Amino acid sequence: MPITFTFGEFLGARSVIGTTLAELGDEYPNLWVLTPDIGATLVEFRDKFPERFLDVGLAEQACVGVAAGLAYDGNIPVVSGMLPFLSMRALEQIRTDVCYPNLPVKIIGTHGGLVGNGGSTHYAVEDLTLMGALTNMTVTSIGDPLMVGEVLRQSMSMTGSLYIRLAVGKKDKVLYEPGTHDIRIGKGIIAREGTDATIFTHGTTVAQALDAADELAKDGRSIRVIDMWTLKPIDQELIIRSAAETDGRFVVLEDHLAYGGLATRIADVVTDNGVHLKAFERLGIPQVYAGFGEDEQLRDKHGYGLEATIAAIRRVIAAQP
Amino acid sequence: MVRESLVPVGERPDVAQLEDLAFELRQKLLHLCGTYEGAVHIGGDLSSADIFTALFEYGLTVDPTDIANPSRDRFVLSKGHAAVAMYIAMAIRGFFSYDGIVQTYGQLDSAYGMHPCKVQLPGVEASTGSLGHGLPLAVGMALSARGRGETHRVVTLMGDGETGEGSVWEAALVASSNKLGNLVAFIDRNRQLMTSFDEERVNLEPYPDKWAAFGWNVVHIDGHDMGALVGAIDGLPAPDSDKPTVVICETVKGKGVDFMEHNLAWHAGSLGAADLERAMEALEASREKESV
Repeated sequence: MPITFTFGEFLGARSVIGTTLAELGDEYPNLWVLTPDIGATLVEFRDKFPERFLDVGLAEQACVGVAAGLAYDGNIPVVSGMLPFLSMRALEQIRTDVCYPNLPVKIIGTHGGLVGNGGSTHYAVEDLTLMGALTNMTVTSIGDPLMVGEVLRQSMSMTGSLYIRLAVGKKDKVLYEPGTHDIRIGKGIIAREGTDATIFTHGTTVAQALDAADELAKDGRSIRVIDMWTLKPIDQELIIRSAAETDGRFVVLEDHLAYGGLATRIADVVTDNGVHLKAFERLGIPQVYAGFGEDEQLRDKHGYGLEATIAAIRRVIAAQP
Repeated sequence: MVRESLVPVGERPDVAQLEDLAFELRQKLLHLCGTYEGAVHIGGDLSSADIFTALFEYGLTVDPTDIANPSRDRFVLSKGHAAVAMYIAMAIRGFFSYDGIVQTYGQLDSAYGMHPCKVQLPGVEASTGSLGHGLPLAVGMALSARGRGETHRVVTLMGDGETGEGSVWEAALVASSNKLGNLVAFIDRNRQLMTSFDEERVNLEPYPDKWAAFGWNVVHIDGHDMGALVGAIDGLPAPDSDKPTVVICETVKGKGVDFMEHNLAWHAGSLGAADLERAMEALEASREKESV
């Protein structure tokens, strides 16, 4: 079934995954879909291609190992599950069975960040640090639900391993009209142009960053919002250019540990390239087990909600170097 | 190559010829262990030498001159630390030259390292070394074969110690649930871990029953009896049958060299020139004893 949507409204990334995989299954007879018991939105693929669908039950390690075995034999496996478990229970399989021989296995999953109110067992907050450390792994975090479909489609011709991080994926804001942005691995997306400061973000907080920019526009502030959805490889050129074009004032916002994710990667690029910034602030999850609550409540509680984001942007704009 | 001098092309060796080939594998293992300055996992190499010989010379449908043939049997070495035994078994079969192995083993940029790497050594089917990974990989390859309607087998060799890993039992469930009759797991049941005799630390028994309870067809043999290995291979269910098979091979770590047998000190080690001579003599003596 073709995807219908209205720009600015909400759509579930999971339904996009289901529909896209079912379409790709026709084009790619070597596409397999595997899951450790998180298959509800994969039903369309399962019903269409039961011989290439595998639910292993609760067995993340075997799921990734089996995917690697399929990939050794020329298949394109997509493993879909919940990231707190895939990224940690199966970390060694991802590292040794998938990345070491550089196999084209895609790991896609939900519950990246303090989302879903499952408590700390069910939040992936370290995953970008872990996946980012792996040789041969491309690391992405996607907020726009339609982009998920586009990236999955592109990934069919990618040779290496790929990680796609999503929030809950039930209700995601459509951020970009299809065809209006250049979606390519290694290229960040300028979601909003601006000159006073840049806010870098990825995944579920892109929408929040845009809201913050809207709010600041009321005071005449011009904030560039960059959706840095491809964390590895990262768009160095865009980071360096944004320092020059937005007065050397950066905020990084992410639904991940504040250290070890995007902010750390940007700090690395800045330092390695001798970029001079006037101000740099990072907003993300502090080093705590975050507790229960709705997504927005948790972001407020832990200091990276909308109000905190607006305040941080004001601070970097006001900073006197 | 040795194989060709021993057996006419297109024919499989008989049990006596396989025993000779296994002896040659052990001689070369000791030679490498006496030549290379670092440690070699000689104990587990020797316990699995007969299994490697039975597989590469008799059981596996593979062609050293056509390593990418889609209908070849796949072999995944799950006990990756026995890489040397696999390299040499493959060399005897004609995949590589033994001289190339012994001259470069473990050196900078060598294709032949402590654990096998498919990227560095084409002909090897999977990069392994971390234990408990081979069975899930083999399950994936068996599913792939099924999906394509191919009739080859996927064979893995595990150590008994590594079946302490949870991933093995996860994969065992996936294999039987998906009726992978084209999957065969050989287990080198040498009953030793690196630092202990395994029943002292981890009680695997009743071992065959565990596999049967997981839905596997279980064959239990003496892993040093070449006739039994050949019998197990001949008796494998057809690849289109619906149960995976495990061949539990009772073995002795260090088999063939008396001072290494049942000896925890020889999980891994290096032989100097004097010890190499002693080990070769022990190997000869062991062969004479068996043939009496």
